[in-house]
Amino acid sequence: MAQKILLVEDDATTATFIAGGLREEGFVVDHAENGRDGLFLSTDGSYACIVLDRMLPGLDGMAVLAALRGAGVATPVIILSALGAAEDRIMGLTSGSDDYLVKPFAFAELLARIRLLIGRAGAGTAQQTVLRCGDLEMDLLSRRVKRGERTIELQPREFRLLEFLLRHVDQVVTRTMLLEGVWDYHFDPGTNVIDVHLSRLRKKIDEGEPRPLLHTVRGAGYRIGTEP
Amino acid sequence: MNSRSTTFRFAALVFLLQILTATALLLGVGAVLRSQARADAVDLAETVRTDLLATYADGGFAALTHAIQARTGSPSERTTVLFLADDAGRAVAGSLLQVPLGVPSARGYFQVKALRHGQREPEAMLVRATPLAKGGMLVTGTVVENQRHIFALLERATLAALALSIVFAGFAAFASTRLILNRLRDTITTLGRVRAGELSRRVPRDETGDAFARLGHEVNQALDRVEALNAELKLATDGLAHDFKSPLTRLRSALDRIVRTVDSPQALEAVDQALAESERLIAMIETALSITRAEAGIGRESFVPTDLSEMLATIVEIYAPLVEDGGRRIDLEAPATCILPVHRQLLEQALGNLVDNAIKYAAGTITLSLDCQPTGASVTVRDEGMGIPEDQRAQALRRFTRLDEARGGWGAGLGLSLVQAVAHLHGGTVDLRDGAPGLAVTIHLDPLIDDRSQAVETQR
Repeated sequence: MAQKILLVEDDATTATFIAGGLREEGFVVDHAENGRDGLFLSTDGSYACIVLDRMLPGLDGMAVLAALRGAGVATPVIILSALGAAEDRIMGLTSGSDDYLVKPFAFAELLARIRLLIGRAGAGTAQQTVLRCGDLEMDLLSRRVKRGERTIELQPREFRLLEFLLRHVDQVVTRTMLLEGVWDYHFDPGTNVIDVHLSRLRKKIDEGEPRPLLHTVRGAGYRIGTEP
Repeated sequence: MNSRSTTFRFAALVFLLQILTATALLLGVGAVLRSQARADAVDLAETVRTDLLATYADGGFAALTHAIQARTGSPSERTTVLFLADDAGRAVAGSLLQVPLGVPSARGYFQVKALRHGQREPEAMLVRATPLAKGGMLVTGTVVENQRHIFALLERATLAALALSIVFAGFAAFASTRLILNRLRDTITTLGRVRAGELSRRVPRDETGDAFARLGHEVNQALDRVEALNAELKLATDGLAHDFKSPLTRLRSALDRIVRTVDSPQALEAVDQALAESERLIAMIETALSITRAEAGIGRESFVPTDLSEMLATIVEIYAPLVEDGGRRIDLEAPATCILPVHRQLLEQALGNLVDNAIKYAAGTITLSLDCQPTGASVTVRDEGMGIPEDQRAQALRRFTRLDEARGGWGAGLGLSLVQAVAHLHGGTVDLRDGAPGLAVTIHLDPLIDDRSQAVETQR
């Protein structure tokens, strides 16, 4: 069954674009143009994820979020904001949202984050000690990484990077998601800083292997998985 | 305390006025008492003199002699001085042994010391000599020895009181200065907190209606205005951000949509380039807004205690592969921990800018070093490139200015301005030095500067 996403966004062009993109990806999208409608729709609990604009006419995004959490609705929420300043980001994250995206953003970034949130909500909280993808195996306790029979030596930073990727097998992770997830670093360096990390990791994992696992996703980021 | 400070002058004034008042009061009381005592003594002597002169007028020298003999030795006349001399100056009657020396035969009373019959010591007395019409001289007066003792005591008491009044004046000066400083403390503390970022802090209300209450009121009004202007600025920048970003969002969306539908490699390349440029534009607007807000002090409320050592280690870790790919090195010199309240994201961005610049426009090893102090810290990013000539360093910190092309233009000309704005937000400064070789940029952070200046104030 297709997953439902609620989009609360007052700007028609942005809404059309986001809704259209999400439908192309196979989601069912409901759209609310203001906070009141958004709050009304969101309380029915059938949504896998809510994309909530911060600045809305009438009831604003933060108020909708507060009301939603107050009513005990735990649906993952991504806040969209035209305010990029860091204090707003901090406020967004401490107010009960699960993620925060500053406008303008790449659609791929939003899509990756929605998939991550939906995946996280479904995965539960089971503690894993071994992460796998194909014949790649990461033991979190002994901190050993093996591809088939071959042991892979990783630097601590490479280990954490691979761990983050392996926790999101078959999901696209963007460069900013990696920076936030691996290093808790919220400034996008804007250069190919992350690409260099990934190309080093790829060399250690995929070099000489018939089936590469680490894939670059055009215009979005990276994905680890057995599917090419 | 500085002798030119108003507080010191005020204290000195209070002290001097106290001393002057006490001195004037004590001397004045003494003078009044003395003149009153003299008047009483003169009155007494004058009554006796008038009496005796009447006797003389009635009965002549013999009657006067008799009258004086009768009075002398009478218990009621113990303090009266009487003396009668004949025209040769010999003593005829009276309580004095001889004519007191130095009493001119003129009007008025003079104080002298003389010996009376039956006394062992000469006594102080006020006397008046009156020449008699038919020869001889009458001396009348009052013994003032007792008053003299009392006034000696009064003098000692006055000196003691003056000494005490110095102590009290000192205390009055201290207490009144203290009172004023206490009245000002609320205002000073409030202004310090406002400067530290608590824009809504106000001087506590004061119903006394005095000058200090008015000062507090005026300060509060000024702060209200500053806060309103600040809120307006925040609104304006937020509005500007929103206005610019909506079209940019749509531009990005359009480009995103094209990427997903076209297959032609040439078209893709053009769209990629357009996307990259739109991203650059977005980043520039973001940075320009961040600078404006940081320079306006907006964001101090987002300070969180952060381990700067850990932050630097993270930055080194993130940038290391890129630096190493260029055949260079990035090193870290920092203590194990250094926890300070900072604006994490802005500081990360400022340090990221510096490292990014060092990667793009410099050469050799990049060194991040951290000097941690209890109230602040200094973070230095040093490279081994060409550096920035001394006369261009101030220009490098200005917004939207680029240095000569040899240095590659320093991005959009915003990188170092942001670094400076972030330093200002943390109560600090930026300085660009010759790294010998290369450039050394140091961000001084003083997020606790206000607590420290208050500590200094208290010590004073």
